[in-house]
Amino acid sequence: MPKKTKKTTTDTATLTAKDKKTLGSIRGLADDVVQFAERGRAPYVDVPSRSLSNVRFNQSKRIIEMGTGKNRRELFNLAQARSYMQTLLVGTGCKQLIEQGKTTSIRGLFYLLKHTIEGTSEETFDAQDECDPVIEDMEVTLDAMREELHLYAKNAGAMVGPITLVDSGDQIDCSRMGSGGYSIPSIVEPEIVEFKKHTAKFVLHVEKDTVWRRFNEDKFWRKHNCILTHGGGQPPRGVRRMLHRLHYELKLPVYCLLDNDPWGYYIYSVIKQGSINLAYESRRMAIPEARFLGLRSDDYKRCQLSPSVQIRLNEQDTKRAGQIAQYAWFAHKKPWQKEIELMIENGFKLEVEALISKDISYVTEEYVPARLKEGNFLD
Amino acid sequence: MRNGSDINSPAGNTPVIPPAEVEPRRRRVTAETMAAKQRDISVSEFFAKNRHLLGFDNPRKALLTAVKEAVDNSLDACEEANIVPEIWVHIEATGTNRFKVGVQDNGPGIVKKQIPLIFGKLLYGSKFHRLRMSRGQQGIGISAAGMYGMLTTGKPVKIISMTSPKKPAHYFEIQIDTRRNQPEIINGKGDGEDIPAGEKGHQYIADHGIEWVSHYPTLDEQSRHHHELRRGTRVTIELEGRYVRGRGSVDEYLEQTAIANPHVTIHYVDPDGGETTYSRSTTQLPPEPVEIKPHPYGIELGQLVTMLKSSHGGTMSQFLTTSFSRVSSGLAQRICEAAKVSTRANPHRIGRQEADALYVAIQNTKIPPPATNCISPIGEALILKGLHHQLPGEFFCAATRPPAVYRGNPFVIEVGLAYGGASPTQKVTLEALTELLEESDARSLKQFLLTTFDGIGAAGAEKILAQAKLGTRQTPAKLKEEDIVQLYAAMKNVNLTEGQTMQVLRYANRVPLQFQPAACAITQAVIATNWRAYGLAQSRGQLPVGPITVMVHMASVWVPFTSESKEAVAAYPEILRELRLGLQAVGRKLAIYLNRRKRVRQEGERREVFLRYLGEVATAVAAIKNSGDRSRKELYGRLVDIANRKTAVADTKLDDRGKKIEEAAEDFGENVLIVNGDEVPS
Repeated sequence: MPKKTKKTTTDTATLTAKDKKTLGSIRGLADDVVQFAERGRAPYVDVPSRSLSNVRFNQSKRIIEMGTGKNRRELFNLAQARSYMQTLLVGTGCKQLIEQGKTTSIRGLFYLLKHTIEGTSEETFDAQDECDPVIEDMEVTLDAMREELHLYAKNAGAMVGPITLVDSGDQIDCSRMGSGGYSIPSIVEPEIVEFKKHTAKFVLHVEKDTVWRRFNEDKFWRKHNCILTHGGGQPPRGVRRMLHRLHYELKLPVYCLLDNDPWGYYIYSVIKQGSINLAYESRRMAIPEARFLGLRSDDYKRCQLSPSVQIRLNEQDTKRAGQIAQYAWFAHKKPWQKEIELMIENGFKLEVEALISKDISYVTEEYVPARLKEGNFLD
Repeated sequence: MRNGSDINSPAGNTPVIPPAEVEPRRRRVTAETMAAKQRDISVSEFFAKNRHLLGFDNPRKALLTAVKEAVDNSLDACEEANIVPEIWVHIEATGTNRFKVGVQDNGPGIVKKQIPLIFGKLLYGSKFHRLRMSRGQQGIGISAAGMYGMLTTGKPVKIISMTSPKKPAHYFEIQIDTRRNQPEIINGKGDGEDIPAGEKGHQYIADHGIEWVSHYPTLDEQSRHHHELRRGTRVTIELEGRYVRGRGSVDEYLEQTAIANPHVTIHYVDPDGGETTYSRSTTQLPPEPVEIKPHPYGIELGQLVTMLKSSHGGTMSQFLTTSFSRVSSGLAQRICEAAKVSTRANPHRIGRQEADALYVAIQNTKIPPPATNCISPIGEALILKGLHHQLPGEFFCAATRPPAVYRGNPFVIEVGLAYGGASPTQKVTLEALTELLEESDARSLKQFLLTTFDGIGAAGAEKILAQAKLGTRQTPAKLKEEDIVQLYAAMKNVNLTEGQTMQVLRYANRVPLQFQPAACAITQAVIATNWRAYGLAQSRGQLPVGPITVMVHMASVWVPFTSESKEAVAAYPEILRELRLGLQAVGRKLAIYLNRRKRVRQEGERREVFLRYLGEVATAVAAIKNSGDRSRKELYGRLVDIANRKTAVADTKLDDRGKKIEEAAEDFGENVLIVNGDEVPS
């Protein structure tokens, strides 16, 4: 990397205050190494732990927060030497991006840093999934958000509805986005995405693309005056951050339409309380007021669905459901305990698409409107 | 015969037939005609017919057995006479499958009268009747070899023996009269020839074409003058045999003998004229074993009765104390009391029942174990010397067990272990390999490799052949020159340490046992030992795998062989126990060594991992700090120092439990030899 940096130090972009702060933290890492070496000590980095043991549920804020636990990553430890080296490499990559005023995808960074270690046949990174956790470690270690490191993930998730926003200077009317909708970028901070005007009453978040398309085709959002989003399964940070901003800045309630299975419950839990892995981001992403609209375990009977739409719960599903029921934020909620119990009792799970067996537009014309009208949600 | 009426029928010549059976009309033979054919069987005749019992079952083994018997006798004689043994073994091909074997020693020589008896009469010897550790036991070996030679080639056994440089030497040519088991002297009108002492003698020997090495070879012209042999014996036997190198060969026997007898020098000339000298690594003779009386626990009832009958008068008490070892007069009294026999009774008058009671009383009385000065173990120090002298390796250790007793016979188990070094396939030269291939009677190349080289295993042989790009089934003798070169290269290159199985060298009273490994208690004990506990790979019921040689020596006044050809030790529980303990003792030392090696290797790997990443780390730091190449190098140097220190610390001071250990604190115990990589054996 030194060659590249040398070449580019001349065309250093103008740095924002945030960039300067991030660069300072990265330089701090390097200074530590030099100091340790001068004192003849073995260098290490303390990385805040991103495991279940280091998160705690904040009862008053109702979000998952990261604890103070740290893992020491040592250069002279067989198990950690490689990831220590990778941590510093990610540091050089981010430094380069910031100095040049460019951003790249996490995959791009992986390619930027991947090379063969001199004198060996070993690669610095074997695969992207080896690089991604190191980037996340970097975020927590430097206490810098991903965008502050000039990194982004691939777009996932879409949005449509009566709202106009400005994305990197371009005005976008989300009510005129055709069948594809507005693709939610991975960084939606106010500097990049600015809300202009809106008439929406609420946000409906559905689990995946296929269901979202049904709603978009039926122009549900126009009829009910809402913003319609999906996150392609587990919503990525961009989608979660977008929901968070819609909820807090525009004061829109968020309703979730997810599958009736442990995975669906978990997606809801992530949107509502935050995830364990990204607990440090919870305060920017979690929406404790989000509501679970469906599907519900009793929908099979209530909507008189055909038995052929059942999908058997496998062993893993049952186990996962048990774990979710144990989560601190579900443990004291009777309706949720009943909900999960009922699913296990049923012995099957239901996808949102199951409602299509009644009628193609049953979900948009009957199911969701009825739920909204009744105000029958799980909290 | 159990019927009442038959009991009184005369026990004579008429056979008694049970009433139920009908007497056949005409008997083909009568007792009388049978009696006419019944006669003594001479031992010689018996063994001439059953020569496999003595190790002459095939021509290849016959050659080995002849050499072995002669060398064993020579060594026994030298040691008994307190002479540092020097042995000459000359094998000369005299025709197709015919060899002349000459074995000469610098021993005390044999008096004239005894020579024909020792070499021309089976079961004649000095070692059978006494309880003392020696190589030979029964007095069959050398005369049987002579007899075998005579039967297969018709040539007599030739013996020349010199007892003093001043007295005439004796020269005999002997044949065995197998019917009578008597020697028949052919030369000098049935009286042998006397060779005058001194110069005249040399002339006589030369004139008569007698084979005799008259001088010690000069090893170093400056420091040693040409020594003349002052006394010694040479036996020459011509016999039908087959000379094949490799496993079970004369070469192997001599090499293994040299390992277990570091005080012996052997000059060997093989049939191809190749000369090999196995030189001694010590001039210290093994301590002379003392002859002992039998231990009471070791005798059987019949033996006891015979001893009682042949005792020289006196009282029972005297009989017990003088005929047995470790029986004091107090003990004798206790035995007699238990047997309800008077201590004053005359041993001649002891009846059958009393003898019975006496026998039981002996078994039930606690008698101290026999004295152990009747056996002379090689000793740990000399085992190490012998192993190191003859085998390549990096780690050697030895253990001599304290004496133990089986059936009243004291014995000592000794175990030596050599680890590492080149495999036998890597030691052979291209010329030797070519010869080996020519000589081999193996049907396929794979079989050739397996039978010629020890411990390479089927997988190893296949590996070698695959590398040499030769078929496993190719005939060894039909290999072309370039194929041989290829095979040779493959044998040198293929690392067999992984697949190599342990080589077990078995010894009984310093004599190598080369056959019937599976039947031998030693092999059984080696297999039964859990070598995995000592860091070696081992499958169930198999020898462990690795570049290891284990030598096991059983020294005893009477080694219990499973057969007369003395090839396998019988598995008495006491012997197995001692074998196990001895093997475990060397196993533990090996484990310490292997662990240390492993730790060193692991540390090396650790260091390597760190060093690999240090360059990246230094570069990354320099890139972040925008610092130059100099400070990058400086940082790198510092990090490398830390890495070396880190791994060095873990290297020497921490064991796997994180406990501090110093180099010296590693307790191998005594008698361990560690050879550093390239050190050449002295």
